[in-house]
Amino acid sequence: MATTATFTLTSADIAGDPVNVSKTATCTKAGATTDLDQTTGLNRVHLRSTVNKVLLGANAEGNDLAAKVYIINKATDPSLYVTVTINAQTIGKLYAGDWMFIPWSQTDEAADIEVAASNWTASTGDIPVEYALFHEDTDFLTNA
Amino acid sequence: MATTTATITLASTDLLSDEIALTSSATLTGAGNSTGILNTSGLSRKTTTSASEYTLFAAADYTDDKSHKLYVKNIETNAALFFEIQIAGVVVGRLYAGDWALIPWSADTTSTNCDVDITPSTSASHTIEYMLFVD
Repeated sequence: MATTATFTLTSADIAGDPVNVSKTATCTKAGATTDLDQTTGLNRVHLRSTVNKVLLGANAEGNDLAAKVYIINKATDPSLYVTVTINAQTIGKLYAGDWMFIPWSQTDEAADIEVAASNWTASTGDIPVEYALFHEDTDFLTNA
Repeated sequence: MATTTATITLASTDLLSDEIALTSSATLTGAGNSTGILNTSGLSRKTTTSASEYTLFAAADYTDDKSHKLYVKNIETNAALFFEIQIAGVVVGRLYAGDWALIPWSADTTSTNCDVDITPSTSASHTIEYMLFVD
């Protein structure tokens, strides 16, 4: 069940010499070579609030299991950004077209990933955000 | 104006019953504008030999609330060796052997000190590579 994540970064002019970085990672379980076998699939929401909204709720049973989160701001207006928060701490801002791919340790139930359309107004229009989670299975479902 | 393009491709032929094939490219720009990011730390490497916390980037050295982007990868091959990444003391996640991440970074110093810190899983030799794109 291999899922690969490939990162490619190129710039001909940010430095005196071209920058070319490429890396492919196979998404595996924590401390193992076994592939991640769960995903939320690709989701899409339309943000229309300056208040933080839970995008991915932390599951304490996922603490220190492997999880990868992909989020992209699909807005095209460069002024529209999404503030990304983990465990109530702002990590950074995704501007129009920006994406992120991060590991996520659900250290406890407070470690939610939240997003806010921080400069949204009724006149800016909604900010579309897409996201996907790739993660390990926990016994969460089988114990239910 | 520099043009720096970051592309991600997520692919799997067997995680789901249908294939996953997702590609997104982003041109790294300044906060709220279309101007290409002009500054980078360049690709750097750090080898740790202690399980202590290390600061990769101190927020106080950068302008807060900008569009900085951080690329990090764990170049180890032993699956058990990871780096825990923290921002402002909050655990983001563990970067296991071979993993990479691209993280937007606010470098906030207003409400809290938003340093980027890493903690290796053990005191064995761990090597990480990283690059910051600075708005």
